[in-house]
Amino acid sequence: MGLVSYLKSKFKEWTRHGEKLPGVDRGILIYENTSEVIRAENRLKAAGYNVRVMGPPQQIQSGCDLVIEVPLMEHLEISRLLHEAGVPPLKMVPVTGPLLAPVDLFQTVDYGEHLMVRAANMKICIEKATQTIVNISGGGCPDVPYLAFQMVGKTLHETPRPRDMGHTLCGYALELAYKEMLRQCSAS
Amino acid sequence: MAVTIDARGLSCPQPVLATLKEIKSGSDPEIVILVDTDTSKENVSRAVESQGCTVKEVQSEEEGYKILVTRE
Repeated sequence: MGLVSYLKSKFKEWTRHGEKLPGVDRGILIYENTSEVIRAENRLKAAGYNVRVMGPPQQIQSGCDLVIEVPLMEHLEISRLLHEAGVPPLKMVPVTGPLLAPVDLFQTVDYGEHLMVRAANMKICIEKATQTIVNISGGGCPDVPYLAFQMVGKTLHETPRPRDMGHTLCGYALELAYKEMLRQCSAS
Repeated sequence: MAVTIDARGLSCPQPVLATLKEIKSGSDPEIVILVDTDTSKENVSRAVESQGCTVKEVQSEEEGYKILVTRE
């Protein structure tokens, strides 16, 4: 199937009688594996698109544990860009109801004096009073012990960034958790 | 005299948090932590050393590991 045919077919999937679905302004890109999600996210952000990596909605049974939420109005341009970049999604699905809404990638648990944020398969836990990292866990990737060794005992502002040290999907997920922890600590 | 923390069956990061609580609030010169996974053993050992304490011994047991920690 050529690119134009592909885009036309996708456009038909996303519209009803040639018009945009009422109230639908978000879509999600579904990928086979998370490394493609990371490549696609980087490509879209480099192009200036406002996209978010999230967890897949419960109604979606295919693809990996991450999806990319995109603005629906720009899906044609996004499709073209991703095909050119060699990372076309398995599917592009409009968010037409609660069961198709992507879920928050982050889970936060308040342990009183400590706060934990989980992103996908990685967790970061800090002491609230000092913002010192007391635990890094999860994953199962070979670089997790190294990441933990480098980060535990340091504050959120002292620690080297996971994105600068990690070489696996766990490093990527830990960077997301780290950024979310920073956001929550800045907001409080 | 050593105080014992039984962290078996607890999911991460609770074994670490229980250990840190004892390090900060307790006074016994030695702490024994019981864990049941390799991940908990590594996480607890790392957290203990980040607090300036020493992992004196790790014994493999039938139901996991027994970590002996001494305060500095």
